Amino acid sequence: MIGMVLRRLAVLPIVLLAIYTLTLALAWAAPGNPVDRPEGRRPPQAVIDAMERQYNLDSFPRFYVSYLESASGVRWVRDRLAGPVDPQRPIFDLGPSLQYEDRRVNEILADSLPVSMTLGASAILIATLIGVGAGVIGALRPGSFADGASLALAMVGISLPSFVTGAVLILIFGVWLGWLPVGGWGTIGQLVLPAVTLSLPFAAYIARLTRMGMIEQLSSDHVRAARAKGLPEHTVVLRHALGNALLPVVSYLGPATAYAMTGSFVVERVFRVPGLGEHFVNSVLNKDLFLLIGAALTFSVMLVLFNLAVDVLYRWIDPRITGDRA
Amino acid sequence: MPRVLAPIVLLIVAVVASVWSDRPLPMADLVIVERAEVNTVDPHQMSWNQDLRVGRALFEGLLSEDTASPDQRLVPAVAREMPEVSPDGLVYTFRLRPGLKWSDGSPLTARDFVYAWRRGMLPETAADYSNMFMPIRGAEAFVARRAAALAAFVADSSLADRSARAEELWREAIDDFSARVGVRAIDDLTLRVELESPLPHFLSLVAFPVMFPLCEASVSRHESLDARTGRRVWSNAWARPGVLVSNGPYRLTLWRFKRDMRLERNENYRDPRLPLSPTLSILNIADANSMVLAFRTGAVDWTTDVAVPYRAEMLDLQRQFWNEQAALVGELRAQGLSNARIAAALPRDPRNTVQAYPSFGTSFLNLNCSPLLPNGRPNPLADARVRRALALSLNKREITEQIRRIGEPVAGSLVPPGSLAGYTPPVGLAFDPDRARQELAEAGFPGGAGFPPIEFLFRRDGGQDLLAQAIARQWERQLGVRVLLLQVESRVFGERLKAAKYMVSTASWFGDYGDATTFLDISLSNSNNNDRKYQNPRYDELLSRAARLADPAERAASLAEAEQLLVETDLPLIPLFHFVQVYLFDPSRFEGLSEHPRQIHTLARLRRKEPAP
Repeated sequence: MIGMVLRRLAVLPIVLLAIYTLTLALAWAAPGNPVDRPEGRRPPQAVIDAMERQYNLDSFPRFYVSYLESASGVRWVRDRLAGPVDPQRPIFDLGPSLQYEDRRVNEILADSLPVSMTLGASAILIATLIGVGAGVIGALRPGSFADGASLALAMVGISLPSFVTGAVLILIFGVWLGWLPVGGWGTIGQLVLPAVTLSLPFAAYIARLTRMGMIEQLSSDHVRAARAKGLPEHTVVLRHALGNALLPVVSYLGPATAYAMTGSFVVERVFRVPGLGEHFVNSVLNKDLFLLIGAALTFSVMLVLFNLAVDVLYRWIDPRITGDRA
Repeated sequence: MPRVLAPIVLLIVAVVASVWSDRPLPMADLVIVERAEVNTVDPHQMSWNQDLRVGRALFEGLLSEDTASPDQRLVPAVAREMPEVSPDGLVYTFRLRPGLKWSDGSPLTARDFVYAWRRGMLPETAADYSNMFMPIRGAEAFVARRAAALAAFVADSSLADRSARAEELWREAIDDFSARVGVRAIDDLTLRVELESPLPHFLSLVAFPVMFPLCEASVSRHESLDARTGRRVWSNAWARPGVLVSNGPYRLTLWRFKRDMRLERNENYRDPRLPLSPTLSILNIADANSMVLAFRTGAVDWTTDVAVPYRAEMLDLQRQFWNEQAALVGELRAQGLSNARIAAALPRDPRNTVQAYPSFGTSFLNLNCSPLLPNGRPNPLADARVRRALALSLNKREITEQIRRIGEPVAGSLVPPGSLAGYTPPVGLAFDPDRARQELAEAGFPGGAGFPPIEFLFRRDGGQDLLAQAIARQWERQLGVRVLLLQVESRVFGERLKAAKYMVSTASWFGDYGDATTFLDISLSNSNNNDRKYQNPRYDELLSRAARLADPAERAASLAEAEQLLVETDLPLIPLFHFVQVYLFDPSRFEGLSEHPRQIHTLARLRRKEPAP
């Protein structure tokens, strides 16, 4: 197990290097000059040239190497060996934001990542509760009204975009009933609506996974044996069937959590949640190279780490599993 | 079985811990909503309205705009009185108020201005408005020498000790600045500024945030030399909440990215009795719907912008309410009250919470004047008769009334009329389709025959598609020309304008300071904002003549003549309408917005009103 964890962590830098190279190449090729502003008074050309030189935007190879050095911590180590460095300087320096002149990418990520992670974790939590509940109900009576209703709900959850479900929830719970705040961040109340909105597509998927797993488990030999022993139905369902039926759900939770934590752009906008999602979109539109690469790398790290965490959990939940699932 | 619950337990722990660690703050005394995030609190990097507003709350210059006076006066701020000006108009002597302190309690002296202005001029600071320093004697040459020294430093790869050489260059630059640039601290309380040539609106520049002071003791702790480029660099750590030392009525206590900013009363401000709202919260809401919802349901006092889809409908409702109150409105208007004051005097009504304020900006069309198009074919728009025909055939009223629908005044000139005391812009060309057809025929295209299709470039956002379609239809109908609409993403738009790869494009310009040149200098043949590639030596001469004239009336006449050339004869641009800014606030609960024609609002004057009994 420890060997697997170490192996996977060793691969991480290679994955990141590949993602960095690809992202930078694509972003570099996109039209538009990152230091030029699209409207308003233009700074003199000499100023633009100086800024391009400062950020190495005038040369792809120099940018490539220079960013790699500072983001990987190589530059920090080198400077540290040469003499004392500013204690506030981060080891892994992801560079300045070209759009938000006062901000470093490290600060932007440090501000917005915890917000997105909280929102994403809450959404997955809600999705799991709704999804597993609906899936079990559906599986116990396949073809019943409850099964149909949970299927319909799942379809709605998957097909409706979150700017629609979000707006409907705001209208019902925020404006008509006045139970919950319509946006913002910082209180439990402000977390509820965005988390529910974000959870719906995940809940729908989890419900289908649970239902499938449960139907399979309920017709399996060990459940039949448990029933034959005369165990009460709830013990059969909860102890013997559900545990195994949930394994696919657990393996889905890894990537789902990573997606929920980083892919909540629309929900964050609708509910004014100051998270990471917006930077993914805006950094591309603004051609804010440093922020764009920083966000892409963060997402990659999260995806790899959550998959790893799920694999570790997976083995712990079901010790029969061995081998390396990449 | 319990093991399967482990992921859920982990998630619960994570959520609870995160929510617990992020406690909400108590409500501020005043809540403002901005659609765009404040980009910077560094006065040298500011260029957006929301940045400048915060800049004026955190910092204060030698002079400030008196936003309460109707005649756009400048009043002494850090300066004790208006400066003493030498008879030739070249030397300004500012005397500072004694005993001024920065927010950290340290004394504010004339040297803080010298430090800040030097930083603003340095080419490595790349200040958007570094041009504002150029009228100062020796500034342009200082910047050129420093830029050349840095360029030579970068090019020289043979240097053994780059840090030592960078240090040496930096000391040379400081000495150069003290010896040759006309900014000097005579003593702690006296600042002397010498100009290259007389500049009547120099004091208006002094009141602009880029010329505000910086606390040298605090900011200089965060500067260092970059050994690779030789540049002086400032880490942004000096401009962080809790670190930023300022001299305005407020200090920065919190700034959470894309979330909110909190300002609190600066206890060391020069006027401790100023009745400002003690805490001010500035929320950032980008989404159009969320913004309106936040105003309607939450405790937001002032929303500084309403998204395009809401503006027209909300203003229609407001007009409907004003029509219902016609008797009262008429009576108040007869008393000479402005719209803002009438709004405040009307009974409370949710429809009356939207207010359109005139803005110091103009929407216009760029016409490419280069002789050849990017594809090498001759450009029909190079002929001024064609450009006049395009201008004369536009029914701008139809555009403002049917497309924009928010009551923006039709524009004949670039400078909004009434926005500058002592300057009357020309009236421009009126809608005259017959004369338009005649001009087009004289240019060799009777009835539009033989005229190549006009490529009309516009951006994706801001409702520009409707505007472009309406204009294209008018031209097709009036002149018989064909128009190809070309919608592009905003970065691409900017790039193509700069390279003049277009025929016609949408455009807008907002003035910065209280002088007509803030609008007119973009059409100088050597301006890097001359996207139209307009070249007229007469225009350049009129502007440089104005710069040499000391008499304000003669100077204004020369500028007005130049603008007349622009909007009545040459038409490198067609003014469409002057912008209004749409605000949301309840005039019965909030007060203090200024009616300054250039929309300079002093945050320290904004207040929540006591609810009427």
